[in-house]
Formats: sequence, structure tokens, C-alpha cells
Amino acid sequence: MTQVLDGVQRSTVPVKLLTTAGIIFLIFFILPFLVGQFQTALISKLLLFGALAISLDLVWGFTGILSFAHGVFFTLGGYAMAYYLKLNLSSARNTYGVDLPDFMVWNGLEQLPWFIAPLKFFPIAILAMVLVPAAFAYIIGWFIFRSKVSGVYITIITLAISSALTTLFISQQAYTGGTNGITDVATLTLLGIDFTDINLYWVILIFTTLVLVGSWWLTRSNLGLILRSINENERRISYLGYDVASFKIFIWTLSAAIAGIAGGLFVPLNKFISPVYLAVAFGTQVVIWVAIGGRGTLVGPLVAALLLGQVQNSAERVTQDWQLIVGVLLLVVVLFLPQGLMGLVPKRFSVNKLLQLPTPNPSAGYIQARFFDWVTPLQGAVGTLQGWFSRRGRKR
Amino acid sequence: MLDFSAIQVHTFYLAQEAAATDTAGGINIYSFANQLVNGIGIVGVLLLTGLGLAITFGVMRIINLAHGEFIMLGAYVTFLMQSMFQMDLLLTIPFAFLGTALIGAVTELTVIRRLYGRPLETLLATWGLSIVIQGVVKLIFSAQLKYVKSPPYITGNLSLITGADGTQLVAISYYRLFIIAIALLMLGVTLYLLYQTPLGRQVRAVAQNREMAKCLGVNTSLIDLLTFAYGCGLAGIAGAVISSLKSVSPPMGQDYLVDAWMVVVTGGVDKLIGVLAGAFLIGESGSAIAYILNDPVARVIVLAAVIVLIRYRPEGLFTVQKRA
Repeated sequence: MTQVLDGVQRSTVPVKLLTTAGIIFLIFFILPFLVGQFQTALISKLLLFGALAISLDLVWGFTGILSFAHGVFFTLGGYAMAYYLKLNLSSARNTYGVDLPDFMVWNGLEQLPWFIAPLKFFPIAILAMVLVPAAFAYIIGWFIFRSKVSGVYITIITLAISSALTTLFISQQAYTGGTNGITDVATLTLLGIDFTDINLYWVILIFTTLVLVGSWWLTRSNLGLILRSINENERRISYLGYDVASFKIFIWTLSAAIAGIAGGLFVPLNKFISPVYLAVAFGTQVVIWVAIGGRGTLVGPLVAALLLGQVQNSAERVTQDWQLIVGVLLLVVVLFLPQGLMGLVPKRFSVNKLLQLPTPNPSAGYIQARFFDWVTPLQGAVGTLQGWFSRRGRKR
Repeated sequence: MLDFSAIQVHTFYLAQEAAATDTAGGINIYSFANQLVNGIGIVGVLLLTGLGLAITFGVMRIINLAHGEFIMLGAYVTFLMQSMFQMDLLLTIPFAFLGTALIGAVTELTVIRRLYGRPLETLLATWGLSIVIQGVVKLIFSAQLKYVKSPPYITGNLSLITGADGTQLVAISYYRLFIIAIALLMLGVTLYLLYQTPLGRQVRAVAQNREMAKCLGVNTSLIDLLTFAYGCGLAGIAGAVISSLKSVSPPMGQDYLVDAWMVVVTGGVDKLIGVLAGAFLIGESGSAIAYILNDPVARVIVLAAVIVLIRYRPEGLFTVQKRA
């Protein structure tokens, strides 16, 4: 781990990027005054999803670890916050007029379980929101990154984790509220300020900005360079004397912690948390934001989460088959646009240019070439099949 | 706004129904034995679903996350054949094989072929494919649950231990025996194809050294196509056989996908026998733990065991140690 800390160095900040970012931040800052309450809530939610997508981009886009379990980290943080808000619900607002949360009462629990009770206190809840997902990720990471298995195993393990935990949370109704999750939570109130609507929006906006800027700074540092090298040639970087596994565990744990905080902020906004966000479907959604936005671009996943969320919001009024559209989009992106939507942005305006990262160049010609790549083997395959059958015929 | 209404409540297949019976009186030796014997049924399902994966992953190194959907397609072929021609379930198995193999071949030509040597991209593409297949099937057949009749002559239970008053203490249903029989049969057929036929020799050659095989005149792209189609066909057979156990629905495949992958990861893919061992270990330990604790906890424990296993035996339990 000492190596990891050494790798984080100060990097220079380009002015051009700062101005652009500042203007965009200002636009988002005044946005809630221009749109209605519904849109403010929706954008808050999408900003959180964007932060979640950025956390996945850190491990996937930069380090090459594809995870379907980021929904899990998100939800773990969410449950920590949900317990805090639920336990601080005044007795009067509780359905049964007791301190015990309603779902525990109707599942026959007499008193608060010892592992949930401390979450009544805000500092402990905040710590749990960050540390539970991080510790969970660390344990998994320690086991899978220390062994010499290829990346795909890790992805499959994350799939399994997501599906197993969904079942577990649904089955432990007395502790987790089952399929409904934890609903009807209190408003988040700190120092006399109610965090609802616009206050919450600003907290979320600041959080997402911090995540974006922090991730950008991290990936621009020497640490980021090492992470990108791991993605490109893991063996070589380990021959250079770096302990690859500890870098992977570090970024994996950090990413889970970010996801956990995003989940924690999601609960006061959404007013409930449930196993829906643990399920593979949500984990896939996060992967899709990153894939469509463009891996390793940080801004791409955020933009994709914001755009797709808006599109989905309007599309769901028209069609029931949003998932099908998402599947087709994913296929198209993987086959034709490996750089995602950010790859379509002309090079002159691209964030990578502003970031001064080397870009492989997916111009229009590139996409055309990829399309021909795709068609040619089809013709080839027909040819081989014909050849094979005619040879068969001749033998007889 | 986000609609994930179909959260799948994964059940460890048959384990739950078996666990639900008679656990009131502490650990009853007979019901525990029953649970273990019925675990055989789970082993059969795991073996059938894992076998196709072992072919595509072990031989071709393709991460197929759409495997569950091929199982689902096989089940739908069986459903179609039954509802249109009143066919017996056994007779629909070849159609399920051919139907899914055909769709598998088309997939290989259009998607997989383009992504060889890029495992993460393949994984992502097949995952997108699985969403698409699910969506299309849902469009055609609606999300309604469909039911498939099991063959009338494979019903009832085989009694292994009968009590003094004639009640069955330990029994296994014939259908579970049928599943494990089909699974072992397919394992045998696959082993025969791989090790006793010229085509199998070519497949193994491509798996060992693609470039060299190509130099020696093996048509590698055709071999890839056939191998992938065969793996998908096996998934189709699994779907046909499983279809009458539970209902047939578009998201059914996902239940099987994760468990099938656990089998492959546990057993290793070097030898097909590893799949059998992996299926046996996961199926039986899963049902034993499910009996003592409960079903979801059993899933988590088995998963944790697999994660620990990966740490110490990344190539799977039943792979011969190779020099690096």
C-alpha cells in the first residue's frame, strides 16, 4: 500500500478545462430555479447515478475490472442511511407508535438487533455508509485480486455476488424489510436544516462534482498512470516491480466507497431503498452508462447517466420495452463504438483533448471501417460453409 | 422511474421445496437423506447447464453470458412444439437442440466472431445479447408464464428406504433421475465427440494452438462456429428438460446462468469431468446447507466458498497443475 500513496502526486491544472467545468457547474447550479420540482428531483437522482457510473469507470475504464456489483455497493451504503433515517423517525409517525421500525414489528422482532442499533447515531451511520461497502469490497478484492485469475472470473463473481445478495436481502425480511426494502423514512435533518428538494440537490451536485474532480485528479496522477498501465499490460507493470494486486484492491475499495456514499445520498432523495438496486439488472444499468458514455473518460459515464435517464423517463411513457432498447444500444456500442458516445465527439472538442490524454481516434472513417470489418466475415463464413459442403459432396 | 419490476427471486431450484418438508423436528436423518438424494436432481440441472458453458468457455475461451437465454430458448422451443403439435417432451429435445444451435450459430457469425481475443468485450456483448433475446421473446410470447407438461410415464417416486408402515422415508422422483440420466448421457456424447471423432480432434487442436491448427489445414472459423453452436445446443437441451420443472418465462435463464458459471469456475474447464465434479460439489453442498440453515444463506455460503477457492485454486479444483 505504501506504493499506492507514493504514486499520488500533484498534477498541474489546465485553465481551459477549469473554465469549461466552471461554466457547466454554474449551469447546473441555477438549473433547479428554471425547471420544476419533478425535474429537480430527477436530475438529483441522475447526478447520483452519474457519480456511481464514475466510480465504476475508475475500476473498469482505467483498471480494466468490469463489475456488475456496483449496484451492490450503492445499495449497502443506501441501507446504512436508510436504517439511520428509519430509526430516527419519531414514534408518532411510526405506524405502531413504537421505536421499532414497522417492518421489524410485523416480522415479529421484539427489539432492535445489535448490529442495527448503533446506526441510530449520525456519525456511526455516516461511517457505516462508507465503510461497509468499502470493507465488503476489500474482502472480495483481497481474495480475487491476490489470485492469478483473469478479469472475466472477477466479473462473473460480481454477477454471483449481486444475485446471491439480492436473494439474501429478500429472504431476511425481519432485518431488511424484504422485497419492499426500507420505506417511509424520515427526512434528513442536520443542524436544523431539512435536506429536501433544493438543499438536497445542492448537496448531491457538490458530491458529484467532488467525485468527478477527485477521480480526474486521481487518474491524472502517477497512480492513475499505473492503473492505466495495469489495464494495458498487467504483466509488464508487475515486472517493473509494482504490486499489481494492491493497486487493484485500492481502486476497487475506493470505488466501492464512492458508490456507497452515492447510495447513502440516494435514500433521503428516493425515500426508500430496496433489493431492486441490489439486483443484477441495476448493476447492468451502471455498466451500460459507462459503456455508452465511453470507458475511461469519467465525463462520458456521467453524461450518459444524465441523458439515458432523461430518455428513459420519457420513453417509458410510450413503451414497456425499455430494457430491449438498452440491450440493443449495448450491443451496438460494443460492436461499433468501443469508445462509447464520447468517441463520437470531434477530437477538437473532446474532453480527452482538454485532459491531454492520448486518444485512439474513432472518427467517422473509423466507424465505417469497423462496419466493413463486421460485414466481411459474414461473406467469408458463407464462403467457407459452401466450400465445406462441396468438399463433403466430393468425398462421397 | 427505473423499472426493475422483475427482480428474480433466485431459488436454488428444487432445494427449497425439499427443504420445506419436515424440518420441524430438528435434524431428521431421513429428511436429511431425502434432501441429499434430491440434491441429485440439482446436480443434474447444474451439469446440463454447465456442460454447454464448459464447451464454449473451456474450448473456445468465450465468456457467454447469454447462456441462460439459450436455456430459455430451448424451453420455449419445447413449449412451442407441445402447444402446436402436442409433442411428447422427450421428442422435443432434438428440436430444442437444433433450434438453439441454429440461433447460436447465427450469434457466432454476427457477434462473437468479431470479438475473439477480447474477453471483456465478448462478455459485454453477450450480456447485451441476453437482454435483447429476453426482450424479443417477451415481445413474441409476452411475459406470461408458460407451462410445459412432463411426460406422463416419468412420474412418481423411486422409494429408496421404506418405513415399516409402508411410507416412503427416502425417495427420489423419477423425473430427477431422468434429468441426471440425460445430463450424464450428454456428458458421454460430448466426451465421445471430443475424443473419438476427427471433428473432436480438430476442436481440441484449435483449443490448444489456434495458429498451428490453422497452419495444418484445420478450418478454424468453421470449428469455432460448430463448437459454439454445439454449446448452445446443449443449453437448449437443458432448457427442454428443465422446462417442466418450473414455469417457462423470459427471465428464467438468468436463474441458471450464475449457478452454471459457479459450476464451471469450481470444476475448472481443463477436463470435462471437472464440470461433473463441480456440479456434484455445488449441488450437494448447496442442498445440505439449505437443509441445515436455509436456501438464500446456502447460496451465499456456496458463493463465499467459491471466492475463497478461486484465491487458492484459480484454475478450478479438478485441473491438473501445469507448469507456468
